[in-house]
Amino acid sequence: MVRTKVGSALAVLALVFAACTPGASPTPGSPGTSPGTSPTGGAPSPTSAVKEGGTLVVALPGDMTAADPSFVSDSNSSYIHLNVVEGLLGTKPGSISEIEPVLAAEMPTVSDDLLTYTFKLREGIKFHDGEPFNAEAVVYNYERQLNAPEPLRDNYNYYFGAVFGGFAEKSNLASVTAIDATTVEFKLKQPQSNFLISQAPLPQFGIQSPKALKAGDADNPDPAKSPYAQGKGTGLVGTGPFKFKEWVPNDHVTIVKNEDYWNAAAKAHLDEVIFKPYADQTAEFNALQSGDIDMAQTILPNDAQSLEGNAEFQVFDRGDSCNVAVLQMNHTHKPLDNKDVRFAIAHALNKQAYIDAFYAGQAVPADNWMPPATQYYKALNLPTYDEAKAKEYITKSGLSGADLTIEFWYPADVSRPYMPDPKALAEAIATDLEKVGFTINFKTAGWRTGYLRDEAVGKFPMWLLGWTCDWAGPDNFLSTAFFHGDGGKPNKEFAYGPPELLSAFDKGLAAPTEADVKAAWEEAQDILARDLPTVPLVHSRPPAAGKAFIKGFVGAGNLNEALNTVWLDK
Amino acid sequence: MLRYIARRLLGVIPVLFGLSIVLFAFVHLLPGDPAVALLGQHATPERTAAIRELLGLDKPLHEQYLLYLSDILRGDFGKSVIDNRLVVDEFLLRFPGTVELTVAALIFAVGIGIPLGRLAARHVQGWPDGAVTVVSLLGVSIPIFVLGLTLQVIFAVKLKWLPASGRIDPRLGIDAVTNFMLLDTLLAGKPAAFVDALKHLVLPAIALGSIPLAIVTRITRAAVLDVANEDYVRTARAKGLKERRVDDRHIMRNAWLPVTTVIGLQVGGLLAGAVITETVFAWNGVGAWVVDAIQNHDYLVVQNAILLFALIFIVVNLVVDIGYAYLNPRIRYS
Repeated sequence: MVRTKVGSALAVLALVFAACTPGASPTPGSPGTSPGTSPTGGAPSPTSAVKEGGTLVVALPGDMTAADPSFVSDSNSSYIHLNVVEGLLGTKPGSISEIEPVLAAEMPTVSDDLLTYTFKLREGIKFHDGEPFNAEAVVYNYERQLNAPEPLRDNYNYYFGAVFGGFAEKSNLASVTAIDATTVEFKLKQPQSNFLISQAPLPQFGIQSPKALKAGDADNPDPAKSPYAQGKGTGLVGTGPFKFKEWVPNDHVTIVKNEDYWNAAAKAHLDEVIFKPYADQTAEFNALQSGDIDMAQTILPNDAQSLEGNAEFQVFDRGDSCNVAVLQMNHTHKPLDNKDVRFAIAHALNKQAYIDAFYAGQAVPADNWMPPATQYYKALNLPTYDEAKAKEYITKSGLSGADLTIEFWYPADVSRPYMPDPKALAEAIATDLEKVGFTINFKTAGWRTGYLRDEAVGKFPMWLLGWTCDWAGPDNFLSTAFFHGDGGKPNKEFAYGPPELLSAFDKGLAAPTEADVKAAWEEAQDILARDLPTVPLVHSRPPAAGKAFIKGFVGAGNLNEALNTVWLDK
Repeated sequence: MLRYIARRLLGVIPVLFGLSIVLFAFVHLLPGDPAVALLGQHATPERTAAIRELLGLDKPLHEQYLLYLSDILRGDFGKSVIDNRLVVDEFLLRFPGTVELTVAALIFAVGIGIPLGRLAARHVQGWPDGAVTVVSLLGVSIPIFVLGLTLQVIFAVKLKWLPASGRIDPRLGIDAVTNFMLLDTLLAGKPAAFVDALKHLVLPAIALGSIPLAIVTRITRAAVLDVANEDYVRTARAKGLKERRVDDRHIMRNAWLPVTTVIGLQVGGLLAGAVITETVFAWNGVGAWVVDAIQNHDYLVVQNAILLFALIFIVVNLVVDIGYAYLNPRIRYS
């Protein structure tokens, strides 16, 4: 990261001078409800020991981009928003795929044709501006996204279009209707198995005060002119345990305790939380150690390892992973069109060694393109590290010598949660591949200055990339992230997508019964295991770190971490 | 003098015009695409094309430039592709941070550099001269980001004497009124916060001021040695004037001229160095903002922030020139 920043800085210098489990738990972040998380030293403590008050300073990798969740698709903004704005549903604290009602009083009833979802709402809840939360507010929030002005669609308002397949008449969401003050009915045009699981973790589907949205001109086609989106005197008016206080761009965002939070048992312990952006990870780590910040939402695995044994700090475990790193391949490039070659590659890779070297042990070898806690996951028994078998597959492929030369791309200037050090990982993979007979030619490109653009159109034969979940459903990994078709044909990125796979994706999303949905997604996974179009590498748990006095933090692999449970033992 | 200033100000127009072409060309020649930067891994060729159309990036380059130019002439500096904030608003919000840092670095460089230069000149070829030469050499040769991170590790992480980053401890809750943090802490009536803001300035000011410190030291030394050999200095000494008086009235007054010129030039260097320093110290200024914008291919922010930066550099140069005339009565502009 330092290298990247300084590189850009030098450019300026030059210029200047020339899953659905009905739940009873009522709120995100309820203490002690996390089955899947075991924060190191920060485990939820008995209520009697909790100390109230104080300020927590949290470093994020970047700044918030808008004070309206509907307009953001970055994880930094969402990390702040989910503390302030709540949706009808949420994921259970510490879980990535278990859903529970939040502003809904219970899980919705679903019609037999899977087209109508009816939500009963909690009563007596007020927005931070004192306005009542009710069915009308839910309808207003969904309709403003459904009918968003053209310039706001897709580019700013990504998730609505992605989940419902478009806006207005193109959307699979036919209508949202207030049946009475506490009942809302959602009608879909065709069944959509990801409807609930996509709504739960995303603050983009949170409910904000209609009055505040209108007063802040939140739907102005130019978000620059919307005081609400810009957080100028208004913005982020939800129902959550924290209220939005201020946003000083590129400096900090402050949220404060909501004293009138509707769920008294889950009121925030902290007086306020200040989020500070740190573009440079070394500077962030120094700031943590010097006491400038109390907690870093994301740190490099090796930095986390260096804090082990230091009583002043703790490293937070995030429980179930919600990502995957993949050795990607495009089948228009030889020899990657050869299935035996792909199996040879998979057998050549020592995934555990990569985890030990580059993830500080905070990852598991991948046996699927989606992590184990995802809906409908099944173990696929993909090829594991075995050099002899790798060589057998090479022999079987009938290829040798120059035919086994592969161009291998990695991003030069980025660190992602699923690949903290792409260059080192690429080198280790190349070493393993050369051991069994491949010849690797390295190539590199800037993440945003060519890498993402070129891999998407199939220019790279083999490259490193992965995915962090938007929601923990199979569609989000298998289809959205990777093998979605392009007009019924394989996409250019991988040039892989047999008709039966694309058909399984369609069935998995729109099948008429739960059993059919499950069968379709399992079929899709089996097809992928059969063909091994790419090689999943690892599922990582990107670590967070903080001062030892932070208690009650509940980490989650999807970063859905409400901070209302956190308190300071000092 | 007024006519001179007016002429210089008019001269700014073609400079900015030329710069706008260079900036536009440079930014549009950079590899990458703001649409991809905006969409990240959610980018598909179709969505990328739709956003390029929305931003007008599908138009021919000359058309794009003319649109850009007409916007600037109307005073419309555009908005960020990424967060939609107006470039002028953002610039005004962040510029005070850069000014504060630059001035602090300048005070450090001048306040230490001139005495060091004088010391070296007084003991030319002696050990103080050697020591000062070593310090100067280190100052110009250590990259700012290396020095910055090293200072953080020593003084913030290990010794915990000073904060590692930011402009003030956010827990102090200082309201941004002028965005000059020192001033805002005083306006808030919180002396402890003022001290905290000062502490936050120390490490970045040293990191940023290291190169100018070295240059000011060397120039002061050279200027003092130059003047010290003049006849009128020898005459002053022959008159029996005390050494200190000779130093202050006869040597330094004349040595000031080249030193002032160099200090003026350093301001431009400091503004540019702030780009790196602000990133390393998470300092909310124009520099860190532009670096982010380059990474995000936020082209309007890059073009226009640097244009505004350049405008300020030009104005600073003009002020230095006027100051030069004030310091040297023999110089008069017409």
